[in-house]
Amino acid sequence: MGPIMKVTAQPADTTLTLVLDGELDASSAVVLDTELNKPELLKYKKVMIDCQKLSYISSAGLGVFISHLQRLQDSNVKLVFYNMQEKVFNVFEILGLDSLMTIVPTEQEAQTA
Amino acid sequence: MPNFRRSVWLLLAAAGCWLLLLLGTLSQGHSVLGLPADWPRWLLLLAQGGFAASVFLFARVQPNPLVGHGFLPVLRRLFWRGLILTTLLTSMQVLVHLADARTLPLPGNTTAAVAYTINLALFIILLAQTLYVWRSLVGFRGSPRLQREWMVFELLLGAALLFQLFVWQAPDFLRVVIITGLGLFGVYLSGHQRWVAYLSQGQKVQAILLQLGVLGFLLTFLLYLRGAQTNSALLAPTTQQAFLVLASFFAVFYAVAGLLVTLFNLPIADVYEQRRAEILSLQQLSQIIQRGQTAHEIYQALFASAVQTIHADAAWLDVLPQPTDPAGTRPAPILHELAPADQAVLQAQVPALLADGQPQVVDNDLPRSQRLTGFGQPYGSAAVLPLHSTTHDYGVLVLLKKEQSGFDPEDLSILHTFTTQTVLSLENLQLVHEARVSQRAQDELRIAALVQERLIPKHLPTDNWFEISTYAQAAKEVGGDFYDFLHLPGQRLAVLIGDVSGKGVTAAFHTAQMKGIFHALMQPNPLAKKDRDRYPDPQRFMMKANEALTHCLERSSFITASFYLIDYEAGGFSFARAGHCHTLYYHSIKEEVSYFRSEGLGLGILRDGSYGRHVKNQFWDYNPGDVMVIYTDGIVEARNASGDEYGEERLAQMLGESFYQSAEEINRHIRHDVQEFSKNLPLHDDQTLLVIKFKASQPQG
Repeated sequence: MGPIMKVTAQPADTTLTLVLDGELDASSAVVLDTELNKPELLKYKKVMIDCQKLSYISSAGLGVFISHLQRLQDSNVKLVFYNMQEKVFNVFEILGLDSLMTIVPTEQEAQTA
Repeated sequence: MPNFRRSVWLLLAAAGCWLLLLLGTLSQGHSVLGLPADWPRWLLLLAQGGFAASVFLFARVQPNPLVGHGFLPVLRRLFWRGLILTTLLTSMQVLVHLADARTLPLPGNTTAAVAYTINLALFIILLAQTLYVWRSLVGFRGSPRLQREWMVFELLLGAALLFQLFVWQAPDFLRVVIITGLGLFGVYLSGHQRWVAYLSQGQKVQAILLQLGVLGFLLTFLLYLRGAQTNSALLAPTTQQAFLVLASFFAVFYAVAGLLVTLFNLPIADVYEQRRAEILSLQQLSQIIQRGQTAHEIYQALFASAVQTIHADAAWLDVLPQPTDPAGTRPAPILHELAPADQAVLQAQVPALLADGQPQVVDNDLPRSQRLTGFGQPYGSAAVLPLHSTTHDYGVLVLLKKEQSGFDPEDLSILHTFTTQTVLSLENLQLVHEARVSQRAQDELRIAALVQERLIPKHLPTDNWFEISTYAQAAKEVGGDFYDFLHLPGQRLAVLIGDVSGKGVTAAFHTAQMKGIFHALMQPNPLAKKDRDRYPDPQRFMMKANEALTHCLERSSFITASFYLIDYEAGGFSFARAGHCHTLYYHSIKEEVSYFRSEGLGLGILRDGSYGRHVKNQFWDYNPGDVMVIYTDGIVEARNASGDEYGEERLAQMLGESFYQSAEEINRHIRHDVQEFSKNLPLHDDQTLLVIKFKASQPQG
């Protein structure tokens, strides 16, 4: 089974938007991890994760964000999630990640966050 | 190409001799080209001898017809050549008859003489062709000794050409003795019919027909020559009788002997012996393989079989290191009669030979080879066979022989069978090895599962104020879910449940670690002033656990957990949730099922001192009849065939249906429903379900 998730990077001036499409589980987590591992990521002020088409996230998927959290914070890169489906948000919430990460409803809010 | 130049010279010599013979024959009775008539007999014999010698030598220097061809194509080619020569003979006879009928006006002896000379030449050509095809058949799988014997036979035949010239005064009995001796030599050589053993039934029939054809052509020529000797119209000199008789005798006798062997499968000489030896070695090879020995033994068996069967003078088996070998070691090559200098020669040149991926490389003419040079020993031929499968290179087998043309197609097909069999068995061995490794891994996984099984509390705490029922099922051999209880003094109960992110052995390790942390943290603190402070409260427990995990949990892993400290005497419990699933609760007074929705971050996510701010102590006073359902996400995230999740709502509904039953019955009711939900589907995550029911205290005893 190949990765069932697509990650599209949309770079702008100071913001990088990553559009997630599909299910983020142990097999597809590698794709996202590669994307977040890129050194040029730290040039941006903000990394916005568009979760509109993210239909599922497993603990391995959460692990990817968790493992990059500290690194992004240390480099003053803000990580903002938006357009998150309720089911996916519940997973973030149960784990308590909503208190650590910025999760906003819309893209506009993400821009200003 | 020196061979080509030699052939041209021989053909020119043959043509010259034949012209001389023609003129000499025509000169019998009248003058030709203004030269005196009746040229001397010795000149004609010399011309005839020269022609025969050139034609035979020409046939001799041609490459061995068997190399690169089977027996049948060689016989077939001989047959067609014989047929053409015999057709020419017949055409000549028709022409002579036409001349006899005076349709072609020519002076006296001319027609017969020309026809005779041409026919004699045709016969000699046929003889030469036949003899050298027979030579290749005699020499097939022959020993060097046989090759020497053949050389002697050729020399004697050549000497016979001189018979008529110089020894015509020799006493009759001597001539008879010499000719008989040579004839017997021919009979002896005719015994070498090893090739017949390599024919299939259908090929034998064809071989018989072809040999009969060749025999027919030879006899036609012999009959003609016999007639020509009594032809009164022909004034021809005596032929090179001794040579022609001997050569034809051998040609005919070999064909007859071959026919007999083919027809009756006569076990002449060692026809079948070698074949049997080959089959035996192949069987031995297969047996060694079946016993599943080491790779070294298989290589040894291949090597011994190949060297013995092919009668190689020297051999080298270069064994390549395999992934299963200890790192850095290179297996010792296997050698047979090979000088170290020559081994170095092979080592340097063989890789280039096999670079283009050929299944085998044969050089039957090493002295003139461009590819393999610089041997210290006078080797004549070499065969190089790589041992490889589609995925692996196992090594290279090199066989060397002193004689040239030492490797015929049969040898190569046998060697090919050997190497194929060897590669098969090496692959087999590797498969067995891999199976063993994977078996060991499975065994170890089973042991890990057993160890983990032992970590699960076997004896549930019992008391008269609560009931506990547990259910746990791992998706794989080992799981990432864990739970534990500890009955503390003063009618208190500590309950821990959790889930390590990820699956498999890594996750299983951390479950063991969590159990260790749990028991370490739940040691009574002797310095505590108040009894209640002897044990850490839930928030403190989580902070300590997070601290303990910081240094050993991979960065992308985390652990969710819920910890409850139930106090019977206080009639309540405190708890903390670290990212774990919300606790489901049946409130008996309100008759209501609900989740404790509280905040709390998973363990291992924040690894600095700030974690304490993200986890809280919660308090709850319980009443008898209340039910607490503690579980892992494997329950609520269980899926059905269409991919829907079981969900918190359905779980709550199940508790609503069964709260009045015993803890065990509630547990069974919920898990049956979950199992029903994802019926016929493999478990995709570990599932753990604990049900705790509070009871009104029963007086003890």
